[in-house]
Amino acid sequence: MNPADVAQSLPSIVSSDLSLWTLFWHASWVVKLVMLGLTASSIWLWAIVIDKTVLYARARRAMDSFEAAFWSGQSLEELYRTLSSKPNHSMGALFVAAMREWKRSFEGAPRSFAGLQMRIDKVMQVSIAREVERLEKRLLVLATIGSAGPFIGLFGTVVGIMTSFQSIAASKNTSLAVVAPGIAEALMATAIGLIAAIPATIFYNKFASEVNKQAQRLEGFADEFSAILSRQIDERGGN
Amino acid sequence: MQMRMASVISTCLHIAVLGWATLSFNSKAFEATPPESLPVDIISEKEFSEVTKGVKDAKKPAEKPKPIVEKVAEPPPKPVEELKPTINDKRTVAENKEAAPPPPQPEAKPPEKKAEPKPPAPAKPDQIADKLKDDKPKPEAKTEPQPMPPKRPPLPKKPEEKFDPTKIAALLDKRGPTRASMTGAELNKDPTLGTATGAAAKLSQSEIDAFRRRVESCWNIPVGARDADNLRVVFRINFRRDGTIERGPDTIEGSNSPFGPAYADSGRRAILQCQPYTMLRPEHYESWKDVEIEFNARQMFN
Repeated sequence: MNPADVAQSLPSIVSSDLSLWTLFWHASWVVKLVMLGLTASSIWLWAIVIDKTVLYARARRAMDSFEAAFWSGQSLEELYRTLSSKPNHSMGALFVAAMREWKRSFEGAPRSFAGLQMRIDKVMQVSIAREVERLEKRLLVLATIGSAGPFIGLFGTVVGIMTSFQSIAASKNTSLAVVAPGIAEALMATAIGLIAAIPATIFYNKFASEVNKQAQRLEGFADEFSAILSRQIDERGGN
Repeated sequence: MQMRMASVISTCLHIAVLGWATLSFNSKAFEATPPESLPVDIISEKEFSEVTKGVKDAKKPAEKPKPIVEKVAEPPPKPVEELKPTINDKRTVAENKEAAPPPPQPEAKPPEKKAEPKPPAPAKPDQIADKLKDDKPKPEAKTEPQPMPPKRPPLPKKPEEKFDPTKIAALLDKRGPTRASMTGAELNKDPTLGTATGAAAKLSQSEIDAFRRRVESCWNIPVGARDADNLRVVFRINFRRDGTIERGPDTIEGSNSPFGPAYADSGRRAILQCQPYTMLRPEHYESWKDVEIEFNARQMFN
């Protein structure tokens, strides 16, 4: 046996060094499962965070550019033609849905305008709901990780401390060198739980407020557009 | 599509963070300075009384009193050798050898004797001889047998030891100092001041009881003494070390009663008849050398 191998195998026997890997490796399988689950949830959480950050930034930018185009004074027909050719999100989708309903009502020539306003409102409500749902997608995962993560970590810690106390009792030795590694590895479960839960809670709150803001902006636009269309309907009905 | 990208980015991020944590998360041991250790010796009661027995004219301890030692320990103390429970002092070997008829030793100086059995050294012989001469006085002083108990009064140290042919055995005995003699870093034969009496021991209850029982067995209470229960007499007795009575018993206190003198006489007779009191141990002689004993029939016979 060459000395390097001995040196390699020594730490696992003595387990005096408390690197993350040895802590993980000496833990019982329940604690390992908890740690792995929490690590996976942390990976999932950060994937959602990255995704949502990009999505919200894009949605905001799209809304800005649409509002700029909408209030630029160009004709709505023209805007509808350019937007309807490609898939749209948020405000553009709202506008396209409303315009489609409007156009359908006017294509078959003599139609009643009585239900048109209501129909347009309904269509816009539906598309707002769809948009909000798209923005809110997977946000509940963040909330769940944020609230349950510490508990899961605590569970791992409790189980780890229980097993480590059992092995301490079996070894009949209470020196700190015997007690410390088991407790350290058990506490690591709580640490991972907190590491996962803290950003989850923070980002959930941030994203929830972002979704709320964008939904309000969509509602505001819908009301405004509804008002414009209503004026148009009244003018045409009056004619 | 976008979610998959985000997942990949997140996974990479986690791997990077975990790798960094694994590398940087090494526990550094606390710098715990151990407290200064106090050497603790377990000594017997006898040793304790010997240690505390002081000499009045002993020198006042300097700032740091040195422990009482008889021999200078080897400069680097080897713990393994120290732990070896050697009971035998070399002194006994030396005495045994001295008891045997001493072989006619030539008046040879120890340095020369040591130099002889050595093979002819390649180095200059003068140097070796010088070194041997330098070395020699130390073991001589060290291995000087001390036949006296350690609590003897301090002897004035002789500056030069004369060569004694009868002690050649002790000189030749090259074994290291053993545990039987107290060793320390420095030579110090002066006893400490100690306590006033040095008699830490007290009479035990069993000794008192044995003494009382013995006196009771010898005591004949004068028959017919009225209210003998209320009579009491106190004697003062001086004992010798062997338990016999040196002086007394002198009556110190007696009862004011017509039967008092007879009662006291009976007590005195009992004490004188029963000596020597061997149950009083000579180790505690200080505590029973001069005692006062109260004779009270009610206390003694119930």
